[in-house]
Amino acid sequence: MSTVQNRIDPATFAESLFEKMKHIHPGVADLELYEFQYSLKNLRPKEGGWAAVGLEPMAVLEKMVNDSSFYRGIQIKPSLGDKLVLDPQIVQLTNMLMVGLVAGEYPEEWVRRHFYFDLRSFFFLHRTTYFTPAVQAHLGGKPLRQFEKKQERFERTSAIGYKEFMEANAEVDGAFIESVRTVLAKRGAPLLVAIAGATAAGKTEIVARLRSALAGDGHSLTSIEMDNFLTDRDHREAEGIHSLGRAALHLELFLQALKDICAGKRIQTPRYDFITGGSSHDLQGRLLPGGKPVVVEPAEVIFMEGNFPFLIEEAAPLIGVKVVYLTDDPVRMQRKWRRDIDLRKKYEPAYFCNRFFKDQFLMAGQVYIPQLLLCDLVVDTTGAALWGTSEMAGQLGLEKPA
Amino acid sequence: MTNKHPLDPARFSELLFESMQRINPGVNELEFYEFCYALDILTPEGGWASVVPEEKRAIEERIGNRDFFANIDIRQKVNGRNVLEEQITRLTRELFVGLVTGFYEEEWVAKYFYFDVRGFFFLVRTVYFTDAGVKHLGGKPFKAFEQRQQDFERRFEIGYKEFSEANAEVDEQFVDVIDGLVAVRGTPILVTIAGPTAAGKTEITASLRGRFESEGKKTTSIEMDNFLLDNDYRDGQGIASLGREAYHYDIFMQSLAGILRGEAITIPRYDSSVSSHDEHDRLKPGYQPITVQPADIVFLEGNFPFQNEDVSHLIGIKVVYLTDDPIRLKRKWKRDMDLRKKYEVSYFRNRYFRTQFLRAEDCYRAQMQVCDVLVDTTGAAVWLAPDAAVQYTTWQAGKQS
Repeated sequence: MSTVQNRIDPATFAESLFEKMKHIHPGVADLELYEFQYSLKNLRPKEGGWAAVGLEPMAVLEKMVNDSSFYRGIQIKPSLGDKLVLDPQIVQLTNMLMVGLVAGEYPEEWVRRHFYFDLRSFFFLHRTTYFTPAVQAHLGGKPLRQFEKKQERFERTSAIGYKEFMEANAEVDGAFIESVRTVLAKRGAPLLVAIAGATAAGKTEIVARLRSALAGDGHSLTSIEMDNFLTDRDHREAEGIHSLGRAALHLELFLQALKDICAGKRIQTPRYDFITGGSSHDLQGRLLPGGKPVVVEPAEVIFMEGNFPFLIEEAAPLIGVKVVYLTDDPVRMQRKWRRDIDLRKKYEPAYFCNRFFKDQFLMAGQVYIPQLLLCDLVVDTTGAALWGTSEMAGQLGLEKPA
Repeated sequence: MTNKHPLDPARFSELLFESMQRINPGVNELEFYEFCYALDILTPEGGWASVVPEEKRAIEERIGNRDFFANIDIRQKVNGRNVLEEQITRLTRELFVGLVTGFYEEEWVAKYFYFDVRGFFFLVRTVYFTDAGVKHLGGKPFKAFEQRQQDFERRFEIGYKEFSEANAEVDEQFVDVIDGLVAVRGTPILVTIAGPTAAGKTEITASLRGRFESEGKKTTSIEMDNFLLDNDYRDGQGIASLGREAYHYDIFMQSLAGILRGEAITIPRYDSSVSSHDEHDRLKPGYQPITVQPADIVFLEGNFPFQNEDVSHLIGIKVVYLTDDPIRLKRKWKRDMDLRKKYEVSYFRNRYFRTQFLRAEDCYRAQMQVCDVLVDTTGAAVWLAPDAAVQYTTWQAGKQS
């Protein structure tokens, strides 16, 4: 780690950084310098100031932010006195990038390629790669449909509400809804549609709109909540079972339920209570005395939402359309500021920041990239593109654009 | 539309959403489900049917009484977590139910209260313009402009750049008035700029200093907060932050006298709730005071009641710089919460709710009755006391001729 004391002038550090950061995040230009300094003050090392920040070579930083052990080491509830604070590694990374930008050690282009800056959190996060070469190959290398990237209008904002988010996605969402209509018309009912997507990508809302469109066409609809198949939390914790894998589920009940509903039968699924962490069913899949299962009536279109609806190998053949609904991390973070912090007041902001920083890389590796390799369709709201496998392109009667 | 009872949870949310869009157009920016997320937090355990709205007169009486505000517990906690204080919660719930059931007319609610969308609670509209204040300022604004802060009505938070753009005309007029009054009244002169938190005092002071310095005059600024005693000491002694006992008052008075004699002065430094000086006015070991060089125009900023007789006679120009509470709250969401990350959200809401009425009563209404200049950024108007108006107009006429 190198230090750059002789290249940092404490008096002009904030001014220099302010100018650099306008190129990194255009929203910084909406701040007055004194407002920028208010935020910066929270990051400045108490001892030694900015000159005390040592810089790692770029290759070392790249390796670090692409290693899951770095994210596993992020604490989500570190505290100072009775106050939750940002994880020290997050602060250290941001401080390094800021000092490296001012000292000219890190080119702006390199910083932008690997990191994004969230204005409201006032820290840098690593850009998660979802479209890996393998994912691109699975999806034929090009989108089926490409629209204007209207989420670019959010580049100066700090928080995004759903109305403006929905307006920006109108074209790609419309193309997606039409695609599901086409598949339903070709394959016939019942059709099981599974939609996976990261937090605040817009899953719940697109499902609601899809339901409304299909109901308007006269189709009967229902939903299966994958979370209802979770086994008791105590059991999973005692056994060290990860909540994102098949071992976390009443697997037999889950597969049978999918088979039955796809055969047009009425089904009963377990019921999971997130508050108590208890399932209505025991580990052998038997309904507990007093347990109330969830009754799902047969329908023409069955929606399944969850973090990993098609990671279960045996379930995949039963699913008619496997969809990943993607929104880039910077936009999802801004949605969560408005939705989860401002409106729901659900988290303490430092906890939220630590958790968002920690989860995206890990979830991409464990859940979303594996599903991108298995899916039929990808709705990339930020890229304003609809992607599909060649089989799906054939079903939709779409050719890959040249 | 369903035929369910208005206090049925689903029906209640729908009816309230419609009504609230009229109370605060910012609610239109929310999807219904987003509105429900915020409403869920306020839903009483016994449901909305458990909330009984009080008679309007009882509410008007309550919110006109300082005890109601003084008794707000800004650090109220449930299970160790800060919460929206129970009286504030109760008021918002009552207004919600009253609006949905028609027990309160929307006009009545809008007259006495405003709704902050991000905080998702009602606050009491503070009265700044009393008959006595308006009379002192000649009954009408000296000059009024287009009210451009109305563009912020749908916003959740406001940054300084857009705030300053909206105030450009009124601020420019104000700077010219001060320029004229300083020319007429002579230097060295002490100019006090009083105004509530986030009204824009610091920024307008910077503009004024820029104007004078471009004319070759020396300026300086003293922040009243620097004379505050340690926060812990004041809390321990039960000292309200507006009385002279909250300050290193002797140092303050000596400092004013010194700077008006054209001398450099050394004043305490207050940073992160701690003063550089102990309660006996002695510099603490290891702390650095602030040195203020003499200047032609000395600005004194803060929430101190400058109308008090012992200070008042030293002040050459008394300014009150006002911005309406809803706008200041939006500025504070941006500045103090998003950028500075200064407060916990419930504490912030409780404190803002509590303080505006008390500060207006203790400070601003009285100062408006003795000030030379009042700037109302929200109303986009500059008001002048009659003698100041005459002095400024004469100076302006002389400049033009």
